[in-house]
Amino acid sequence: MLRVALKGLAARKLRLVLTAISIALGVSFVTGTFVLGDTMTATFDKMYSDLGQGTDVTVRGRPAFTDTTTLGSGRAMPEAVVDTVRKVPGVAAAEGGLTGYALMLDKSGTPIQPGGAPTLGVSYAQDRGLAGAIAPRAGRGPSGPGETAIDAATARKYGFAPGDRIRIVFESGKPAEFTVAGVLGFGDADNLAGATLAAFDLRTAQTVLRMEGKVDEISVRASDGISPDELRTRVAAVLPADLEAVTSATVAGEASKAVRDGLGFFTTAFLGFAGVSLLVGAFLIWNTFSILVAQRGREHALLRAIGARRRQLLGSVLTEAVAIGLLASALGLGLGLLVAGALRGLLASVGIDVPTTTIELQPRTVVAALVVGLGVTLAAALVPAWKATRIPPIAALRESAAPARTLPKGRIIAGGVLLVAGLPALAWAVAGPSRGGAAAIGSLATFLGLILLAPALVRPLVAVLGAPVARLGMAGALARQNAGRAPRRTASTATALMIGLAVVVAMTVVATSMKASVADVMERANRADLILKASSQLAAGIPADAADELRGLPEAGVVSPMRYGRIQVAGKTTSVAAVDPRTAEQVADIGVSSGSLPKLADGEVMVAADEAKTHGWRLGDEVTLRFPQTGDQVMRLAGTYTDTTLLGAGYLVTLAAHEANFSGRLDAVVLVRAAEGVPADDLKRSVRAALAGYPNVAVQDTDEFNAAQSATVDQLLGLVNVLLGLAVLIALLGVVNTLALSVLERTRELGLLRAVGMTRRQVRACVRWEAVLVAAIGSVLGTVLGLALGTAAARALADEGITVLQVPVALPLVYAVAAAAAGVLAAITPARKAAKVDVLRAVVAE
Amino acid sequence: MSPPSTTLLTTAARAVNATKLYGQGDSAVRALDGVSVEFARGAFTAIMGPSGSGKSTLLHCLAGLDTLTSGEVYIADTPISGMSDNDLTLLRRDRLGFVFQTYNLVPTLTAAENIELPLRLAGRRADPAWFETVVGAVGLARRLRHTPAELSGGQQQRVAAARALITRPEILFADEPTGALDSRSGAELLAFLRRAADEFGQTIVMVTHDPLAAARADRVVFLADGRIVDDMIRPGADGILDAMKKLGG
Repeated sequence: MLRVALKGLAARKLRLVLTAISIALGVSFVTGTFVLGDTMTATFDKMYSDLGQGTDVTVRGRPAFTDTTTLGSGRAMPEAVVDTVRKVPGVAAAEGGLTGYALMLDKSGTPIQPGGAPTLGVSYAQDRGLAGAIAPRAGRGPSGPGETAIDAATARKYGFAPGDRIRIVFESGKPAEFTVAGVLGFGDADNLAGATLAAFDLRTAQTVLRMEGKVDEISVRASDGISPDELRTRVAAVLPADLEAVTSATVAGEASKAVRDGLGFFTTAFLGFAGVSLLVGAFLIWNTFSILVAQRGREHALLRAIGARRRQLLGSVLTEAVAIGLLASALGLGLGLLVAGALRGLLASVGIDVPTTTIELQPRTVVAALVVGLGVTLAAALVPAWKATRIPPIAALRESAAPARTLPKGRIIAGGVLLVAGLPALAWAVAGPSRGGAAAIGSLATFLGLILLAPALVRPLVAVLGAPVARLGMAGALARQNAGRAPRRTASTATALMIGLAVVVAMTVVATSMKASVADVMERANRADLILKASSQLAAGIPADAADELRGLPEAGVVSPMRYGRIQVAGKTTSVAAVDPRTAEQVADIGVSSGSLPKLADGEVMVAADEAKTHGWRLGDEVTLRFPQTGDQVMRLAGTYTDTTLLGAGYLVTLAAHEANFSGRLDAVVLVRAAEGVPADDLKRSVRAALAGYPNVAVQDTDEFNAAQSATVDQLLGLVNVLLGLAVLIALLGVVNTLALSVLERTRELGLLRAVGMTRRQVRACVRWEAVLVAAIGSVLGTVLGLALGTAAARALADEGITVLQVPVALPLVYAVAAAAAGVLAAITPARKAAKVDVLRAVVAE
Repeated sequence: MSPPSTTLLTTAARAVNATKLYGQGDSAVRALDGVSVEFARGAFTAIMGPSGSGKSTLLHCLAGLDTLTSGEVYIADTPISGMSDNDLTLLRRDRLGFVFQTYNLVPTLTAAENIELPLRLAGRRADPAWFETVVGAVGLARRLRHTPAELSGGQQQRVAAARALITRPEILFADEPTGALDSRSGAELLAFLRRAADEFGQTIVMVTHDPLAAARADRVVFLADGRIVDDMIRPGADGILDAMKKLGG
């Protein structure tokens, strides 16, 4: 039986490859994601262990909690602790260090802002044994208040050499000028995971980072014969409670974990795309095997008649599936390496520069490729294979082996029940905001219901969509009839397209609503004329001095900065915003429902009304907020507010409270309102002039702000749709496959048509129109489903800031028409094959 | 302008020195070996011969479904060798009609749609009076909305015959049209072909191995080993059987 199956495969190479590709694309996304993740993890692991070389124990502020957003923001400690540590027996060397914010400017004065990576200002270790792999490649280490050493990547890209002058922006103050004393390498790497780095001697670092007399980390080396763990215990014993000693291994482990966690979102997203394309691919496999089994009905019946057992028949079909699955896995693995490179480029294009040295292909990745490729293929082929075993031996003797198949009652009932349950759930989700549960359940039920019922919808859809096609002549009329001829086959082909398109359209609805929501917030809650933020979306913020600068400006009536931080409340990590209570209400309306924002004191907090209700807090209650650096802080609940959309946080404290609990001194946003009687344009002009010395500050009025936000959303949507386009492509491969098999099945019919006068051109047109109709069914179902799911999703995300529902019309329409038109492309090869049918062989009786 | 020759006026189709080889070199099989034959306009001709005599090949080559290795086929005064696939297709659609042994109908189309198929492919509609005449002649008026699966074998062949006539073709080619039918259905179909020749003056060329079928024709041409071995006018069933015995068939 194995030989029968393998021979069957060899005879249909093209279809085999086509079918395998549909799964291979999904597999390549899985492996690509793994390869990229592993490669990056390996790169970072090596980098962090290089950096930790020579350091056995690190002393740092004990964080109250850690997550990716708080890592590395340890609280500073008095420099005197360094001496305390140095005196511990077994300590060979100890040196304090500082890390902070320093943004370099290139020679034209433009900020050197790497993608997602930080712009670091650090102290330069004097004890070279504690410097790890950081060493000058050219020049020397910095020394004295006027010198810096910069990372080799920045030096190379922006043309800095030792002796050059460079301007650097810090958290406060205007850019300061330094002499480049040296260019630093990091082992083999030119920079630290994409970050820019400017190093100063410790005194200078303390000055520019505003940390006089303080360090935030102490690197300690053990004397000979003392293990890192032993040293850690000894050092820890002399430290105050708010400091901790950890081994280098712990530090490196934390850093790697942070990188992995940071990539977590992308990993999830990429695997999500892989899931969509695998789902679409599974439909294609199911379809292909269903047709194969139907076509080979007589062959199977013959095998049964001559004594093949059901299990052998099942085995023979599944062998084919295994072969396709293995091919898909292998292809997917190979493609995955390419995809890893492409994904890296994709991350770089959104500003996340990933240093990679060698590609990491771990056994787990190979196993995953095999499991996914083989698993999905086998799962999709199982039911068709089982059906093959149900064929009675007598069928071998019958003229027609494929009886008309009707939709099983169970399927209709299940599909009907799912739709009846799903549609009201969706309607309920659309009717009110933040009904996430209803949206999820409704979406899933509607989605599955539609998949189950699709075959029943094919005939009516073909009748409607095919009406204009049928009017084009006989070729069109035949195409319409052919499309409705095998509703289950047409349905599963169209369903694959439906899935891909539905996700694309749903994403578009969410994105459009997102853009409308931003504009709405600006319209409703914003009272400022200008919005100041960092010119790069990914930068940490802007120096506080920018706001100070504007306060002296006569055109600026109100200048109100906002800062953010991450805190934990009752064990959950959330955002806290900080504003100047005296000015905040003049630039923003946050819908204060109790208490008074202008009266907010430093020991007080205002909480979003929903959040207060969840926790059962009342006005005047004591609320415990856990800050990463300062730990639990008890604050009095002084008021509530209802509109979190502009603020984007459920907790609100004063700027002074923020400064007391966070080390960062950058403003996230500065809102500016014109003084009485000053036109907005005059304000903008004078603000821009006043901030000429702050090249990393973007000054936008509300229109510009909206446009910038829309552009960001569009960019993201474009990216997502490119990835989802892959799924649509697979679905179109499905159309090719189905048509090719249908043409094969209708060889005699095509021959007859050619004999009685159908021209080759007409045959091609007929196949083409059939493809377009099948694609159009998928397009219509996908667009409708996508609009429904997208609307429900957008409504469900009301709490995440999507307060306005806006359903796009033009874009989904364009997608739908494009997908249907792509049917023409899918039909090229099958149409050519159909036109080449040998007339004589088709009409002469066997 | 010179007047057309009498041959052209009265001949619906002719083969001149038609030769068809299958395969190459020594192993080549001569399916047709220099056949020259004319088919008069308005006549019902049967082509007979044992299996492998080349009778079906001759019909396929006459009908533009197959090509000759050498020689020429004329439909009226049109030589068809060297015609493009497109021209041959249009020739079949507009000037010829076909009834095959089996699989004559498109399964998705109703009987009426199948009958109209060649016209619809040409972008035309049937002349209602002629449509009614043809449908009435084959006795299918009540079955027009049925699909082929809902019709008996005999009914299907009659639909095919009606389709072959709907374009008023110059020649109707029938390839073993009764081969898959029971005797009663076969007789009905032959009666219809006979009427088509008598009442509509339809030229018919039919390949058959059934002497009773051939007996309904005006003329019977016998083929053996790719050559014409006999040519009789209204030989009757007995004459046909005698001729077949002579051939050893």
